[in-house]
Amino acid sequence: METFVQSIVSGILTGSLYAMIGVGLTVIFGVMRIINMAHGDMVMFGMYGAFLSITFLKIDPFLSIILWIPIAFLIGVLIYRFLLKNIVPAGELNTLLYTAGLSLFIANLVLLIATGDYRTIKLKYAIMPLRPFGIAVPIPLAIAFGMAILITVALYWFLVRTDTGRAIRATSQEPEAAALMGVNVDRTAIITFALGTALACAAGVLLAPSLYLYPTVGEILVAKCFVIVVLGGLGSVPGAIAGGLLLGVVESLGAVYVSVPYKDAIGFVIFLLVLLFRPSGLFGVGKS
Amino acid sequence: MKKIVIALSLILLFTAPLIVSAPFFVHLMIMVLMWTVLGASWNILGGFTGQVSFGHATFLGAGAYTTMILYLKLGIAPWYGIPIGGLVAALIALPIGFICFRLRGPYFALSTLAVAEIIRLVALNWESLTNGPVGLLITTLPDVTFRGRSIDWENKIPFYYIIAIITLGSIVATYIMSRTRLGAYSLAIREDIDSAEAIGINTVQARVAALSLSAFFAGVAGGFYAMYLRYIDPDAVFSIALSIEMVFIAVVGGLTTVAGPLIGAIVLVAFGEIFREIFLVHFKLVGHLIFYGLMMMIVIRYLPEGIWGRLRLRFGSQH
Amino acid sequence: MALLAVKGLTKYFGGLRAVHDLSFDVQTGEILGLIGPNGAGKTTAFNLIAGFIHPTRGEILLDGESIAGMKPYAVTRKGIARTFQIVKPFRKLSVLENVTLAAFLRFPSRGEAESQARQVLERMGLESKISALAVDLTLSEQKRLEIARALATQPKLLLLDEPMGGLNATEIEQASLLVRDICKGGVTIIWVEHVLKAIMNSSNRVVVINQGEKIADAPPEQIVENPDVIAAYLGTKKR
Repeated sequence: METFVQSIVSGILTGSLYAMIGVGLTVIFGVMRIINMAHGDMVMFGMYGAFLSITFLKIDPFLSIILWIPIAFLIGVLIYRFLLKNIVPAGELNTLLYTAGLSLFIANLVLLIATGDYRTIKLKYAIMPLRPFGIAVPIPLAIAFGMAILITVALYWFLVRTDTGRAIRATSQEPEAAALMGVNVDRTAIITFALGTALACAAGVLLAPSLYLYPTVGEILVAKCFVIVVLGGLGSVPGAIAGGLLLGVVESLGAVYVSVPYKDAIGFVIFLLVLLFRPSGLFGVGKS
Repeated sequence: MKKIVIALSLILLFTAPLIVSAPFFVHLMIMVLMWTVLGASWNILGGFTGQVSFGHATFLGAGAYTTMILYLKLGIAPWYGIPIGGLVAALIALPIGFICFRLRGPYFALSTLAVAEIIRLVALNWESLTNGPVGLLITTLPDVTFRGRSIDWENKIPFYYIIAIITLGSIVATYIMSRTRLGAYSLAIREDIDSAEAIGINTVQARVAALSLSAFFAGVAGGFYAMYLRYIDPDAVFSIALSIEMVFIAVVGGLTTVAGPLIGAIVLVAFGEIFREIFLVHFKLVGHLIFYGLMMMIVIRYLPEGIWGRLRLRFGSQH
Repeated sequence: MALLAVKGLTKYFGGLRAVHDLSFDVQTGEILGLIGPNGAGKTTAFNLIAGFIHPTRGEILLDGESIAGMKPYAVTRKGIARTFQIVKPFRKLSVLENVTLAAFLRFPSRGEAESQARQVLERMGLESKISALAVDLTLSEQKRLEIARALATQPKLLLLDEPMGGLNATEIEQASLLVRDICKGGVTIIWVEHVLKAIMNSSNRVVVINQGEKIADAPPEQIVENPDVIAAYLGTKKR
């Protein structure tokens, strides 16, 4: 029983970060109908950002998020404006292939600069886990979880309460109608892409103290991210949050009750089943 | 004119290692040809039917492991193992096709990625069959006499001729496909799948057939890969990166064309190897994939029909 | 026996009722018009008959044989061809290749399929465009190409989904002639159309549906006087 609760707790902690990455991908898909293969590399970028902060600037990784979110937002703006904008009209598949190229380029550029060594971030205050009610909670994951909730709530507030947020949601639901209602489609797209990139990067910063980092980590993260957004229904923000938590829990339960080596496969098997039998997502809210 | 070009290409294909026999160049040519087969394999599915697979490493890996396991466990020589590997890959493609082709467009692409990851994880964990992450190693290849002389497997030239024949096979298969009903149906599916169904084409069956043919060549190339490099492990032959590289070769060369994969392989692999050498010398790093990524972005942006796709329009060639 | 008999056809999309308990017959040699306000379920009915979606309930019989739940390609092989409301040509293939692909269904050899395609294209007045790419045709030509493609599968029954949408007055006139000509050639037709004048002039019988249900089934001259139909078209809620 204790193991069960323990796995659920660790699953939710990791899942909250998966959810953040998934939300980023899903808003981009919702507004632009593109599947961004380079999304995982934005997470990787955030991870290295955290690493740089502590190694060279001596800033705590969790504090450095204040620095990296705006930088990632700006990078998102630049990528959209100078790279993606001209490709998106060429269709879903061309965009898919283009972002695959972008992903390979970014990952290998970082490989060149940072080398392929596996790195870890060690925090002085995070050696021993917290033990509330006898359940082990690693401190970095706990902090990351708290910040992920804050950021997600802030994002929700933004999407629901601000004009730009409403424009994003409207474009995501009814692109033609939104354009007719006077939504500036181009501006909405650029903000959405930058926002999605910033979310991925922020999740990367938060994940960095808990994972190994290496330049091609984005490859496996983006694959997980697809699992998350398909579980929740492509284009749905609440779906991505639920999908992220679900994947986190499934992986962590799978590691305990099925087998550690196959824990990653469980996610993909569920992913295939959902794609085949519930293409609009487990909760039936996404667009197929 | 066309016949002369083809004849010259054939002569060049079979005399190249006699002209430049430096091991590095022979190795480079072997790599170019192996990637031509992989690009041609991807092109048979992606170019003709328009179905983007991000999981073709599955078939390469299936061929590589089949060849390796047959040799190591049953003593069946790789030259039998390679075609058997192709057949195994083609067989594996059938259930994968019937499952994944229920999905369309980007959803299909994502499903192939998921299948490939599942299979990689299986290969990694089914240790009794695959030896897990440790991989499989061949120390010696069986003795073969050709025209009374024993073939020297330490020399690269015999491998060159094997892959040259496989390459020729894949190009001829692409050409034949472009002339048959399966090829015509594939193009219809690529252009509009609803219309294809509406004129009576069983689009699932046609796509599965194309996938299976495509998988055969990826499997054969995988078998060759195992025999040539003599070592495989799941991350080497089942990786997402490998699947993506196959896509790039086919797209950069020019989809739906017969010669495209060769051109794509020459551009990416040959220049990629040169980049790799430069990076290795100057930075002690493997950097050729930067070049791959960059080429892909440039091609999609400025040459969506691929390098050969653009050139052939200029020369007025059909293939 | 009716060529096509639709019985109690019903389709729900989630909670949305797209077609409800729809029944009608089509006799060999008829031109049946299918009309109704926007969103009445006409295209859904077509998609159901052609196998693109599968019914929640109900039967579709072709020559007495059930075809409900068959895949689109299988329905086409049974002898029902269709066009799409928004044309879907094989854009980057030539006009001839577009139609030849369809002719392969009955003529496995390329030579025969091509000569069959040429004949059909000639009937559609597209013989001069044979080597053009489909994407380069005008809308009117693309609509005719789509009909040619459907005819090349040698159907018993042809489903035309708004063949006149977006055409000008002259083109509509030509298209009407063409539809009647196809029918004379021995192909039964069900025709969805917004251009009411054309449908009233050319159909033997008209079925009107509104909110997924059939509200009238009669010759054109009676349809125009039917109060339910007038109410549906004027937008007053039925009852």
